[in-house]
Amino acid sequence: MAAAKTRASSFSRNLSAAAPSQGPGLKCGPNGLVFLSSGIPDLDKILGGGFPLGSLVMVMEDAEAPHHMLLLRNFMAQGLVHNQPLLYASPARDPRGFLGTLPSPAASKDNKSYETDPDQEKGLRIAWQYKKYFGENQLNFDGQKGSLSLDGKHEYSNEFDLRKPLDRHFLNRQHVDCVSIQDSPDLSVLRDRCSTFSSQFPRNDGSVSCAGRIAIQSFCAPQCAYSNMEWDMLSFIRSLKSMVRSSNSVAIITFPPSLLSPSFCKRWQHMADTLLSVKAIPDEDKDLAQLLTGYQEMVGFLNVHKVARINTQVPVILEATTFSIKLQKRRYLVLECLNQAPVDGSSGTSYGTSGSCSGSSKAGNLDF
Amino acid sequence: MAESICRLLRDGALEGEHAPALTIKDSIASPFGFHVFAHVLSQLSSFILAGKSQSRGLVVVCFSRSPSFYLELLKNKGIDVVSSDKRIQTLDCYSDPLGWKSRLTETGNFMACSHETSISRTTNVFKDVKHMDKLYNSIVELGKGLVGGGKIRFSVAIDSVDEMLRHASMSSVSGLLSKLRSHDQVSSIFWLLHSDLHEAKVTAVLEYLSSMVAGLEPLHQPANGQRGDMENFSLIEHNLKKGKFHVRFKRRNGRVRVMLEEVHVEHLGVNFTALSSEGAINQGLVPKVQFSLQLSEKERIDKANVVLPFEHQGNGKPIQIYDGRRSLADSKHERPVGATETVQTSEDSGRGEIIYYRDSDDEMPDSDEDPDDDLDI
Repeated sequence: MAAAKTRASSFSRNLSAAAPSQGPGLKCGPNGLVFLSSGIPDLDKILGGGFPLGSLVMVMEDAEAPHHMLLLRNFMAQGLVHNQPLLYASPARDPRGFLGTLPSPAASKDNKSYETDPDQEKGLRIAWQYKKYFGENQLNFDGQKGSLSLDGKHEYSNEFDLRKPLDRHFLNRQHVDCVSIQDSPDLSVLRDRCSTFSSQFPRNDGSVSCAGRIAIQSFCAPQCAYSNMEWDMLSFIRSLKSMVRSSNSVAIITFPPSLLSPSFCKRWQHMADTLLSVKAIPDEDKDLAQLLTGYQEMVGFLNVHKVARINTQVPVILEATTFSIKLQKRRYLVLECLNQAPVDGSSGTSYGTSGSCSGSSKAGNLDF
Repeated sequence: MAESICRLLRDGALEGEHAPALTIKDSIASPFGFHVFAHVLSQLSSFILAGKSQSRGLVVVCFSRSPSFYLELLKNKGIDVVSSDKRIQTLDCYSDPLGWKSRLTETGNFMACSHETSISRTTNVFKDVKHMDKLYNSIVELGKGLVGGGKIRFSVAIDSVDEMLRHASMSSVSGLLSKLRSHDQVSSIFWLLHSDLHEAKVTAVLEYLSSMVAGLEPLHQPANGQRGDMENFSLIEHNLKKGKFHVRFKRRNGRVRVMLEEVHVEHLGVNFTALSSEGAINQGLVPKVQFSLQLSEKERIDKANVVLPFEHQGNGKPIQIYDGRRSLADSKHERPVGATETVQTSEDSGRGEIIYYRDSDDEMPDSDEDPDDDLDI
């Protein structure tokens, strides 16, 4: 007679996979998800922890600004710092050259942006007893900020200093792979590379030992020979999504939507688990300077269109979906909610809750 | 501004950066893209010859006009072409782009005209425009021949990308342009495009590849697109001499600079002036409302002067509101029946009038039907 195993009820939380001993690069989240960091702490917070393993992130570029490169740099640098293997594909002749522009993690002491936290910590003493409810889900990020470690490697999400290049020893390891997609007539080479890469991290029920990152830049760039094969590109994205879903990796693809036909642009957007877009800011725009505070320091806008929801039916409703990208001290990438400047009483116009974006030929919506 | 464009092309690329690239695009409504191209070409040539620019040589890839045309053009602008053949070279893709003439002469069926065989020092004939990589190699070779190897840079001007797109696919043309931009020795590159010859996607691709986009638009749009109108003819004629020159710069800090100017076509070339009529350069984030929410000063005064049809105006005197019936017992019964004036306590400035007809007078104020009747309105 076989001893019957006590079967847990279907409503209990299965925390067995949520072992936090995976290392600093991974974090457990709700619904059995494991997150890895995007490299931008503000973005991790907005997305509820980071990018979940098994998800496909797509970033819609703006043809007029290179902000998607900032996102990619931080993403790739974070992976290297955490010793997570990386596969990078780009339409450049020599993608390795891009690795030289990856930023280095900022030394924690320099980081003044967390100055306010000690004050807040004092305030939390009153609500001390509630902390026990947060511990299970590990949704509390305040604890993360408070832990300043000597070595940047032990933090889940690092602030990257965009002016300092990454140490060479991170790049010389074996697990950084680059592919140039410019000359290949079709996508079979890239598909094979992605397939072999993601098979290194098979997903099983055990704990996650290592995660991989795939970064594909400017996927439908016009100089690529396959760029007019729209159905092939779509089926590549679909197969990449399935590869990534069945492995412990995250793939990020950036593409310029203006170069695709509108129906394919929509299809690609639907393929994504997490969809972001970046937008350029018009320079010396007086209306914008009046409308938004901090206009001078902004370099661009980031819109969060979709947040990955795997293993759950509950959607994420963000308080705000448009953020401004700023470079703090010209080094650190921060995302801030857009703040409307105080309306001058004498002018009398009401701005309303949405407006259309200027500058670029496509209209966008700002959500305040 | 045209000067900013020429300045940016003159200053060229920084180390490790892609070369600045300019797209000049026009359409049938405002067809002087070529004049602007010629202007930029002559400006850049004069910078190069004077030694003021980063690049030391210029390669002009001629597709839609013959090289001799360009040499004439530069001579007319005062640029000494003969002595500058060390600096300016043309790649002739105009005379025999597909190599037909040379193949015919080979078979002996075609007697080549004598002027074709005399190849001047400044031009090289290119016969294989279907192959963009060969074109790329020729351009680079020509450029290196001008400036030598090493770190010295040269600029490239492409007469018309439309012709290139006739012969080769979009991806090979964009491959050529992006390779030129990322070449170590290319300082700047610019090209001309007629946007209505292509689908919108082509224009989008070329704008993606360039760091400056200069577009020509008509100053006045003809109404309803009707062609046969006399008014429209004059508008079209007007549009053939003047236009809007609209430039978008992609700056290094990731912001987009938009500038607007007027361009006049004159006998010797083009003139750029500041935009004469007022217009918002940027459509800001301020939402455009259909109606104006603001009152001008006059409107404010008028609004204050209109007396509202309440019987109690708050100044202690009750007002009789004329209700369209001659039940008033005062001196006001001289007024004609059709008068629409109501309250006469103050002078209207003539604009604000409220016409009020009282519904019915015979209902008792405390009637059960309408509890609002006990209000004194």
